[in-house]
Amino acid sequence: MIRRSFVAICLVFLAIHPVLAEDILIKGGTVHTVGPAGTLTDVDILVRGPLIVAIEANIEAPPGARVIDAANKVVVPGFMHPHSLLGLSDVPWTADSNEHSAEGSPFDAAFDVRYGYNAGSPLIADNRRHGLTRSVVFPGRSGGIFRGTGVLIALDGAAPAAGPMVARLADGGNRNVAWAKIRMIFDQVRGTAPGAFLSPLNMRALVPVLDGDRLLALQVASANDIRQAIALKRDYGVRLVLVGATEAWLVAPELARADIPVVISPVDNTPRGFGSMRATNSNAALLAEAGVLFAIAPAVGTHGSHHTAHYVSQYAGIAVAHGLSHDDALKAITLNPARIYGIDDKYGSLEVGKEADIVVWDGDPLEVTSHPDHVIVRGTEYPLISRRTLLRDRYRPR
Amino acid sequence: MQEWDSYTDPRRLLIAFFVLISSILWGGTALAGEGPYSSTYRPRPAAPVAIIDASIITGTGAYLEKASLLAEDGKITAIGPAIAIPEDAMVIDGRGKWLTPGIIDMHSHHGVVPLFAHASLRDHNESTHAVRADVWAEHSLWPGDPSFARSLAAGVTTLHVLPGSHNLIGGRGVTVKNVLARTVPEMKFPAAPHSLKMACGENPKRVHGNRGGPRTRMGNMAGFRKAWLAARDYKDRWDLYRSGESPVAPGRDFGLETLAGVLGGEILVHIHCYRADELVNMINLSHEFGFRIAAFHHAVESYKVPEYLKKDGICAAIWADWWGFSLEALDGIDESAAFLAAAGACVVIHSDSISAGQRLNQEMAKAWSYGRRLGIEISKAEAFSWITLNPAKAIGIADRTGSLEVGKMADLIIWSGDPFSTYSLAEQVYIDGALMYDRADPETHGQSDFELGYSAKGAHQ
Repeated sequence: MIRRSFVAICLVFLAIHPVLAEDILIKGGTVHTVGPAGTLTDVDILVRGPLIVAIEANIEAPPGARVIDAANKVVVPGFMHPHSLLGLSDVPWTADSNEHSAEGSPFDAAFDVRYGYNAGSPLIADNRRHGLTRSVVFPGRSGGIFRGTGVLIALDGAAPAAGPMVARLADGGNRNVAWAKIRMIFDQVRGTAPGAFLSPLNMRALVPVLDGDRLLALQVASANDIRQAIALKRDYGVRLVLVGATEAWLVAPELARADIPVVISPVDNTPRGFGSMRATNSNAALLAEAGVLFAIAPAVGTHGSHHTAHYVSQYAGIAVAHGLSHDDALKAITLNPARIYGIDDKYGSLEVGKEADIVVWDGDPLEVTSHPDHVIVRGTEYPLISRRTLLRDRYRPR
Repeated sequence: MQEWDSYTDPRRLLIAFFVLISSILWGGTALAGEGPYSSTYRPRPAAPVAIIDASIITGTGAYLEKASLLAEDGKITAIGPAIAIPEDAMVIDGRGKWLTPGIIDMHSHHGVVPLFAHASLRDHNESTHAVRADVWAEHSLWPGDPSFARSLAAGVTTLHVLPGSHNLIGGRGVTVKNVLARTVPEMKFPAAPHSLKMACGENPKRVHGNRGGPRTRMGNMAGFRKAWLAARDYKDRWDLYRSGESPVAPGRDFGLETLAGVLGGEILVHIHCYRADELVNMINLSHEFGFRIAAFHHAVESYKVPEYLKKDGICAAIWADWWGFSLEALDGIDESAAFLAAAGACVVIHSDSISAGQRLNQEMAKAWSYGRRLGIEISKAEAFSWITLNPAKAIGIADRTGSLEVGKMADLIIWSGDPFSTYSLAEQVYIDGALMYDRADPETHGQSDFELGYSAKGAHQ
């Protein structure tokens, strides 16, 4: 009995863990490269180690290669969530499973989620089987305006890389207080104003932001605040991405001129306060028209930012329903977030030399009725198994 | 055809008569004891309309290719491949379009806790005591909530608005037609039964744990049993008085009146409950006190115990794929709806979200496709009943809406394409045969007083 259990446990362990590195050849299918090559049919993709090494017609399978038949299927890059909680909490509504928030501690800007990030969280495997292969992980509420530093992850268990400094304007008091506070703190960090509003360790954490070495991901909603953010970039030279940006469409040309990207949710169409009275499903389409660089994702703190972070594909589809082109929608969940967070040299499109985050879908990935058949992260194929599929199989009707 | 909204309508008079009689007999409990709070909803004037040659999902599990529907005087009067169309009917070309029943959002907090985050509008949880059967969601409901118009543009024609889940017994829910209105009675679904919201699991014990209890799950159960014992006693005393065995009228208690209304079968029980073990505890509770449960909401683990739900005729209202946000939701799987349907249990897809509530068709489509991927074949037409006829049954209005059948209210959606596609949108939405929303005509785009002057009509889409 014990031995049988041991064997079963080993089998589950093997099933959840990937097949060890081997060449992978993906044959055929409709390939949305999201790169300069556009959409291709009748090409094959060869993966060796973590990289894409060839995309061309009729590639012969190298000896020992795993061959994936993608005929009648759709091949796309793995998708990316630009601000999830993945790896920081298995049950985010409870204090008992919280590695995402510094609230109640002396940390705000100096909070860094890299120490608590858990690549073994069941949320990682479950979102991966739904086609998500990358994410930026944001810290949650700190009590102050700065929430701390996030991480960039691939959903393959690897160690995370440093991500952006995250801040939320509404945590800083009313708008006059919040903007004055940010500017005063920045002046103090630069040494152009006396004093230190935050503790020394929190002030120090902001140095890379003022040096332009670390992106500042600022959560704002209203057109007014977006204009203030544009002024902040002008006055301090910080690199910015605006997250939420409900009313971005109202100031789209100004955002484009200031070269400030945004992360928006195309379902954000109902006012949450007087700062988002003009929320609209058409935000994405209008931003595309104005040439603003943007990524699509469910809003910060919603279910789609943790357990169903893979909703990025459904949300991209919703943006298409509201006027965005299919190509732009795919970019908004792959190449665009890669560009925003500075990893587009290795991820975001299917191009030779990039890391092989490739998902083979049984249909259009932006349709809610489509599902991944194969998920490859950095050259390794992962089985479509998670804690939830084990539950499913246990209770499956016979 | 009689006008339902006419005060001379015999059906209306009949209902009023019953309300009056039962109020006298039953201290105002029967038909939800509505009395002065009852519906004043009037369908909008509607010319006859025919939608022809559309792909029709009836909500009863049938799919009709290239078929037509006629609505007159607010009711469906014909449906089928070849129907007679009166000369005065407005004819809509349904080629390439899909026609379905209006969606019923069975778990809404529209108006009682709007997305608009203003503390003064958080009116859904009377968490001053764990048992507040005396409160009614309709007395919190703010008709100006912009969420109603958002849901209408998404095809939601009826909403079941509930109190929150802080309390073991949270109060009465209300069913409304999704129309712009000044007052709640102007929205109330005529003569729809009231519901009773109960909640098991984490929320009541978390909220009340440090202020009088319950603090544990066993405390939850004890709280329920105490409340229902008192309700049974209250009902017995009223029954004795009604039958003349006791000459003295018992004192009236609004909370117990609600619970007695459940025991008398007039008020339908809807329970927020996640875990399989707790679902069965609640079923056992209903057996102990002799009431029926209409639906479990958020029944994340219902897939583990489908036979219990099937046996008692209880619907499982579930998310398509939410899980894990709280510990009691950790075991949620994508195939719940398919497993329940395969076991013959009643499935309702809900959202509990102003955002996802605008895509209940997509939520339903996801749940359907997860089952299909596993080899559980359920027709699209059957799956559509998860957001139409099944919720209509669970809130007691299936005799009048929830499906496209002759004689029923013409609550309809014309979709731009297959409603199982992410890309399809509701193009036109009809309530009682009247065009209430037309994506192509901004004049029809609902705008509450609250939004006037802040945003243009229809700018939210």
